[in-house]
Amino acid sequence: MRRLLTVLALVSAALAFAAPAALAHNVLTGSDPKDGATLAEAPERVTLTFDQPVRRGFTQLTVTGPDGARYEQGAPEVDGPDVTARVAPLGPAGEYVIGYRILSSDGHPVTGKLTFTLTKAGGGGPSVAPTPAPAASDGASDAAADAASDDAASDGAASDRAADAERRELSAQAAEASQNGGAGMAVLWIAVALVLLAGATVVAMRRNAAPAQGSATAQGSTTTQGSTTVDDSATVQDTATPAGKE
Amino acid sequence: MSVSTSSPAPPDRGGEHLAEAAPAAGDRALWVGGGLVAGAVAAALAGAVLIAEEPVPGIAVPGPIVEFGLPVVRVLLDVAAVAVIGLSLLPKLLGFDDPARTEPVARRARAAAVTAAWAWAGCAFVTVVFQAAELNPGTVPTPASVAAYVSDVGAGQGLVISGATALACAAVGLLAVRFGESVPAELRIGVALFGLLPIPVTGHAVDSVWHDPIMISMELHVMGSAAWTGGLLAIAVLLAARRDLLAAVLPRFSRLATLCLVLVSVSGLVTGLSTMALTPGVELPGAILTSDYGLLLLAKIALVALLVPLAAHIRFRLLPHVAARRATAFAAWAGTEIAVMGLAYGVAVTLTRASIG
Repeated sequence: MRRLLTVLALVSAALAFAAPAALAHNVLTGSDPKDGATLAEAPERVTLTFDQPVRRGFTQLTVTGPDGARYEQGAPEVDGPDVTARVAPLGPAGEYVIGYRILSSDGHPVTGKLTFTLTKAGGGGPSVAPTPAPAASDGASDAAADAASDDAASDGAASDRAADAERRELSAQAAEASQNGGAGMAVLWIAVALVLLAGATVVAMRRNAAPAQGSATAQGSTTTQGSTTVDDSATVQDTATPAGKE
Repeated sequence: MSVSTSSPAPPDRGGEHLAEAAPAAGDRALWVGGGLVAGAVAAALAGAVLIAEEPVPGIAVPGPIVEFGLPVVRVLLDVAAVAVIGLSLLPKLLGFDDPARTEPVARRARAAAVTAAWAWAGCAFVTVVFQAAELNPGTVPTPASVAAYVSDVGAGQGLVISGATALACAAVGLLAVRFGESVPAELRIGVALFGLLPIPVTGHAVDSVWHDPIMISMELHVMGSAAWTGGLLAIAVLLAARRDLLAAVLPRFSRLATLCLVLVSVSGLVTGLSTMALTPGVELPGAILTSDYGLLLLAKIALVALLVPLAAHIRFRLLPHVAARRATAFAAWAGTEIAVMGLAYGVAVTLTRASIG
């Protein structure tokens, strides 16, 4: 019992130095337009502000009109604690719902909604089927345009550029991999699991190989107790390491 | 039941006793373990209904498989981990002085600990898949999306580490199955407790200067509740029919349980209330009654309050009789206490996923 408490105390002491960092749940602290606001003029963009930085990726931000149509334009942009979506010209007057689902810094999704009311109908219609990632495609077309102009200038420069881009891509991947511990860790864990499986199999085989002993075990301690009383200490030693007998 | 006489009668009686006890022990394991699992799963499902993400126009949310599957698998992870901790603690509680009597029980505990460790590891990896699916609503998780989740999100890494440690538990447990108690019990307890450490990372804390103290409080909470629930589970399942062993073990466990009760209550209150107090936009004490997080906290406090009389009954009413090796209703009381603990675990899983605000 004392040793047990010592172990518990040691583990608790280790904790004081090695407490892992759980991160906090993001909380919405503000927005533009504000929740429940009444606006005469349609906003061009919607911004949600959280109490701490929002993680990139997995972010959804939508604006749904009273007609059920969607008005956000493009993928939401994350900038620190702010998530911003551009809004197409709004349609009919009425209540608009801003819906969001972001990845909180603790890794949990945080979902919620805000509303604002438009008093004067805007001239716009719904943003038809929001494009999945216009920012990315913008970038791509820019790059394409760049590449085209480079092409016109000189082939050599273009290929240099391509090689450069490739290098950057690779180094970005390497940086990400090193940040994650890489695939090496996963392989290591799988190797450990396989070794364990092999160990389990060996044990199972050995136990099966000694069915006589196994059945004695299964019958409970009748035989053990009986033999103990007769043979005393030698048997006691044996029962302490039951599987090691044969 | 003393084994010290050399006349043939006592061993025979012992044999009959054990023969009767064997099927009953199987039933009891089913009832007690089933009570824990049923309580945990029921509370986790109820919690999932309570904190269900309200539908927001235009926002894709995960389907019911993830919504209800995730908390169930997550709480089964806890139950498996609790079983591993309890079964690892049991040899320490049994003591090593009288292997002739303790060995049959210790042997079953070692084998069960390996099984539970595999279940722990399995649940951890399935939970990772579910959590990855939760962040990618509307898609079926692929190895790539799960890998991306684990590499990006700390909760995923925590679960993977916990699962890997569970595999290490299984490895050490297998050594113990093979070589008996010559594998130090402290090692098994230590490895199992280490596997609990990443668990709080899968929940959430607050972003403040009090972060580290709150984390330590959470770690103590997780370890204290695992030792308490697991120890009682192992004793109720494996020892309730062995009055001779129970008479020696229960008083020892009782001291550990008292320590755990204090630790769990204090660390739970500190963690829950400080987390709420430090979250922006949360007004104490009003938020305790108005927010989901506060209500869940109240549910846990109520469950611990329910545990106290159950534990006290075992400690003050039954323990003297148990120590005198008389027949008691220990198994029934312990089973009830464990089922309530299961409910608390289910609420705890909900609490780690609920929004604080």
